Amino acid sequence: MVTVVLSSAWTQGRRSEFEVAEGSLREVLRALAENQPDYRHRLLDGSGEPLEYFNVYVDDEFIPRRDRSRARVRPGTTVTIVPPLAGG
Amino acid sequence: MGEMVRIPGGTFRQGSPPWVLDWLEGEDQAFPGKWFGDEAPQRTETVAPFWMDRYPVTVGEYAEFVDATGYRTDAERLGHGMVYGSRYWEERPGATWRTPSGEPVVGVEDYHRHPVVHISFGDAVAYAGWAGKRLPTEAEWELAARGTGFRLWPWGDDWKPDLANTAEYHAGALRSPDQWRRWWDTVHSRTGPMPQTSGVGDFGPDGDSVHGCSDMAGNVYEWNATLAGLYDESAECDATLRTVMGRYRVIRGGSWMNFRYQVRCSERMYGDPGGWSNFATGFRCARDAEEGGP
Repeated sequence: MVTVVLSSAWTQGRRSEFEVAEGSLREVLRALAENQPDYRHRLLDGSGEPLEYFNVYVDDEFIPRRDRSRARVRPGTTVTIVPPLAGG
Repeated sequence: MGEMVRIPGGTFRQGSPPWVLDWLEGEDQAFPGKWFGDEAPQRTETVAPFWMDRYPVTVGEYAEFVDATGYRTDAERLGHGMVYGSRYWEERPGATWRTPSGEPVVGVEDYHRHPVVHISFGDAVAYAGWAGKRLPTEAEWELAARGTGFRLWPWGDDWKPDLANTAEYHAGALRSPDQWRRWWDTVHSRTGPMPQTSGVGDFGPDGDSVHGCSDMAGNVYEWNATLAGLYDESAECDATLRTVMGRYRVIRGGSWMNFRYQVRCSERMYGDPGGWSNFATGFRCARDAEEGGP
């Protein structure tokens, strides 16, 4: 399993960390959206593919947009999703 | 270009005192107290005298820069800018500082007087260099917004919705994201994703800071020069905010999109400096006092 961390700006007082099965980054994001449908519109486009506007860090390593399609997330790692405008 | 005011400098406690975090926790607003933890603990900052733009940089002023240099913004190079659409944030083709909704600006009087938006960190730095100025540091920005004494908003501690361009100016008191969305739905159905900016200085002088700077609360988010960093490593704050420390640049002042809580003088936000911009983010410039007046 991997841990996905979302911003409190998204979760607004609710749980912000989620466990999802490991796999490709695409699979992790899609699984999170399926398990947590409240955040689907923030994570996936209308056809169910991951949106690209947010930044993704895997164990604190930044994953550039161009590398996301082939990025894999190993068991035990933490994926942090951060909007380009953070805080507030 | 770019009227400036001289800020005398001084020593002050940057950030929010404990009572502000307690107050936020008790207010009827959407965010947990921890969300504001990056505003604390306060730390002592000494700022030398400097010059600060009285207003955010306007569309008209940015046009002068572009006309003189041929500069192309990141949004123009990428072919899109971020707007809040009918559903959520989206990268909208054609949305740039000239066409902030992705379409030509129509029906907005004197739009050249509005603060420029769809400005990335690099776009702001480029303009400042051309103008012989620089972006303010975070400490300079906060000092210009509230002086050396603490206050929640530039005019004082009492919220006054008519003194700043926020969502609550347009919609009335807002308490929840759902209320905000209902307001935005009505705006979007009428104008599309057109930013609800206002002419710079329109909320002055009553909404101005003690130093005479306008639009320090709301209108547009403003890039600062400072790299994001916690005031103290012991600060309890959101995990995603810890991630941006050392990576993003500070953004201050909140915008027309925000509630009263996001336009406070000590409120901190952070922006991705790698070319990102949106339809509510602009900037103002500063200059060292030693370099003389504007």
